[in-house]
Amino acid sequence: MSLRNRLFALVSGVVVLTVVLVTWAVSSSARQSFATVDAQRSAALVAQFRREFANQGEQVAMRVDRAAQSDAAARVAAGVASSRDFAPYVNEAAALAAAQELDVLDLVAPDGTIVSSAEWPARFGYQLPWAAKTAATRSGGFLQPIELPDETALALVAVRALPAGARALHVAGGRRLDRKFLQSLVLPPGMRVLLYENLQPEVSGRHLIAAEDDPPEAAPLEPLIARVIQDRREARDAIEWPDGPETVDALPLAGPDGPVLGVLLVGSSGRELAALVRRIRWSGVGFGAVAIAFGFLLSFLVSARVTRPVEQLAGAARAVADGDWDVQVDNVRTTGEIKVLADAFDTMTRQLVDHRDRLVQAERVAAWRELARRLAHELKNPLFPLRITIDNLRRARTLSPAEFDEVFDESLTTLQTGLGNLNTVIGRFSDFAKMPAPEFAQVSINELVEQSVALFRAQLAAPGHPPVTVRLELDPAVGTIRADGEQVRRVVQNLLLNAIDAMPEGGELRIATARVNGVVRIDVADTGQGLGEEERSRLFTPYYTTKQHGTGLGLAIVQSVVTDHRGKIWVDSEPGRGATFHIELPA
Amino acid sequence: VLDAARPHYGGTLRIETTDATAMRRVNALAYETLVAVDAAGGLRPALAASWQRDAAGSRWTFRLRRGVKLHDGATLQPSHVAAVLRAAHADWQVTSDADAIAIEPGRDAADLPWELADQANAIVIRPAAGASIGTGPFRVERVEAGLIALRAHEDYWDSRPFVDAIEVRTNRPPADQLSDLEAARADIVTMQPIDVRRVEQRQFRIEASRPIELFALVFEAQVATAASDSMRRTLAAAIDRGAIARVVLQGRAEAAAALLPQWVSGYAPIVLAMAGEPPSRATAAPPPAGRRTLALRVAPSDPAAQAVAQRIAVNARDAGFTITVQSPAGLGPRFDMRLLRVPMRGTTPAAALSDVMAGLGPRAVALAGRVAPPERGDPLETVLRTERALLERDVIVPIVHVPELYAVSPRVESWNGPAVLASGSWNLANAWLSAP
Repeated sequence: MSLRNRLFALVSGVVVLTVVLVTWAVSSSARQSFATVDAQRSAALVAQFRREFANQGEQVAMRVDRAAQSDAAARVAAGVASSRDFAPYVNEAAALAAAQELDVLDLVAPDGTIVSSAEWPARFGYQLPWAAKTAATRSGGFLQPIELPDETALALVAVRALPAGARALHVAGGRRLDRKFLQSLVLPPGMRVLLYENLQPEVSGRHLIAAEDDPPEAAPLEPLIARVIQDRREARDAIEWPDGPETVDALPLAGPDGPVLGVLLVGSSGRELAALVRRIRWSGVGFGAVAIAFGFLLSFLVSARVTRPVEQLAGAARAVADGDWDVQVDNVRTTGEIKVLADAFDTMTRQLVDHRDRLVQAERVAAWRELARRLAHELKNPLFPLRITIDNLRRARTLSPAEFDEVFDESLTTLQTGLGNLNTVIGRFSDFAKMPAPEFAQVSINELVEQSVALFRAQLAAPGHPPVTVRLELDPAVGTIRADGEQVRRVVQNLLLNAIDAMPEGGELRIATARVNGVVRIDVADTGQGLGEEERSRLFTPYYTTKQHGTGLGLAIVQSVVTDHRGKIWVDSEPGRGATFHIELPA
Repeated sequence: VLDAARPHYGGTLRIETTDATAMRRVNALAYETLVAVDAAGGLRPALAASWQRDAAGSRWTFRLRRGVKLHDGATLQPSHVAAVLRAAHADWQVTSDADAIAIEPGRDAADLPWELADQANAIVIRPAAGASIGTGPFRVERVEAGLIALRAHEDYWDSRPFVDAIEVRTNRPPADQLSDLEAARADIVTMQPIDVRRVEQRQFRIEASRPIELFALVFEAQVATAASDSMRRTLAAAIDRGAIARVVLQGRAEAAAALLPQWVSGYAPIVLAMAGEPPSRATAAPPPAGRRTLALRVAPSDPAAQAVAQRIAVNARDAGFTITVQSPAGLGPRFDMRLLRVPMRGTTPAAALSDVMAGLGPRAVALAGRVAPPERGDPLETVLRTERALLERDVIVPIVHVPELYAVSPRVESWNGPAVLASGSWNLANAWLSAP
């Protein structure tokens, strides 16, 4: 990963982490604060509901008072006092209840017999014992189970007594705690009230009444309801609905005898809080995303600004490594250490170029010197016999014509040979100068090696030749490669010749081929005297030779051919332990 | 006081009724019978001034009133009467002379005068062209949807009616009728027993027939099986008929021990005794096995029936039943029993029981015991046996008998009896409207 990317990732990571932490901290803090406020609001709402409920009870008592003081009730009381025939009054309760907007109204004779019932007109003549029982003890509204034609329901009722002769007619009226009652309660937004009628032994959601048309699922509330009924104390639970949380305060509603007849569930929706927290969270996420994006951009710019000089330096270093020593980073716009580094780099490359130029110049001079030495050496040897021959001819002018002719013919032969040698020397130099470009074709390396070795077998087997053992280790997997067969053959033959020459006392010549990692390798090893370090370092320099009669161009040509084939050649050798030339050619 | 007692001529008497078949009452005003039921429930002369049976008991002679004018001004002849009765009863031998007709029904017909008092035997002359004509105090002037208009018969044999016309509005909802009466938009309206106190408190007069309607509980097939006998018997015994008659129906009904009211048959106590089970409440009875929850269907337009049904549900609860009262306006859920209100128009036990069986419907009768309705003129024993068979399995449970009730404006005054007779007929020939 590049420095820029690492720097970018680091800065971005820091930005993201910071944003996430800040967002989480803000969201968490906001939620706690809102939860505290919500709890306070719920408590206030429950208190407000208690007042509202008490107010409803007072209103019921007031309405029952009015019903009891009405002319109709007085007529019934008078009639009940004077006669046991209640039939004329059987429908009175309905009219009274309608007038006072009561859901429940019973006119009860002194003996507890229902004279008239608004909520269940057909129930006349039956007993309603609680009316007389509670009339003396309860002046305000209280909770009472009321029997209706199809069910038993809860009602907030009050009872008043009217004189009926020596005894009393009881007017028991109230409002059902039903959906209409719940809807009449004044509740602030976000709050709702549910009523559970505890009129059956088991807690069941069927007895849950809601003000809204669509009551909630009862199952989540049932444990809370059961707990309140059992403990007869208020309780609170946080209920998780699919559409959000709700804090539910459950209030036991006790009847006149003490048992819990109902449970009022005052729900304070946490949806607003949740929505607020959600809004904050999403705002945080939004701001965080923007901040992260901004952080990314900033970190990109910063990392780019910081790393651009470094990248330029790295590019320049790569160029230097690739041989372009003229590269400069003086256009880097930076300050501080990077600027110092860039200046130092430029100084270094300038010095390197200077050194290189000096070195090239020195090498060029050395090469010319070597070339001159070699030329002198190569030309000197053929010239010496020529000069001797010419001297001999000059001396032979004094000899007899026959002797002169004999000397002349010998001299002429010698001159021709010498000139031929000179021509050969010049031809070699010329060949090296005009080394042709390789012509690539599919070449079998093993076959080529075998043919080259075969050329030398006769020479090695000649009498008087030191004994040289040839060992071939050819890898069949080498196959063919694209190469100039003739040039590679020259390379192999040159190396074989050098190896044979390196073993004047005889030895072992090993030629091996192999295919390794996509290249074809050719090893030519001898067991001669080996090469010193100085020799190894100059071995491929043109016109350098360790032989008495070498031109110093053989290995230079070999290296040139290998290089033209995008190959590689090197030598492993130590003095006294032979030498091994390695060639690698692309397969 | 003298002004109040002195009849006024003129004016239009406005009547409203819930009954879609009010034409029956109207016809009684337009078409008279030979004999009529009087205010006390007995027989009185109508077109026949007198009647007698011969010694053999097979021939009745009815001497007709003289000078009776038809609505078209013609005089009613005994031949007209004989022709009408022959057309109605092909098996009768009806002959006529100058002032009488003779009838030989071909069977023992001791109650023939009662039979002739039935409106079905009214003398209706149907000319070849034009409307039917009769001899009644009013003639039908026009019949429209929801309205029947009558005009006074100027030449009525018992003197012209006091009012000039009568307008009868039919199919009026009960609440609307009482409102119209209170707002003086109507003079006579039908009413329900449950409205008695309201009507009385508003100083209207209540006039009633004898109990001529039956409230009966009829079980459906799924609970009319032998396996449900015990359940039906327990439920029937649990119903407090006395409280229904006395309180729900405000004392205007009679607890029913039999299908026919006592005043028609005279044998209700016998049926009671033969059933072997008092119709009193059986609150202490243990709940029977089988169905405990039942649905009771009541007509949605009948508030009295709904009140009775609610009381039945209360009583049934004491016996361990849960009854759901349903009164859907259209198709409703499946029900187990119906509370039917069955009118009885017949003037004889056989005819009345036939009416009841027709009102209960063939399905209920078939479930009760597949008995045939009594024939006209069947003796009382046959009627008793038929009724006994119908009630034997408690598939049909009589609850109460109720009268037809009318709330009458104080403007309506009458000589010669109330405006509504014991039979339910309208006695309007002698009614007048006091001056406003």
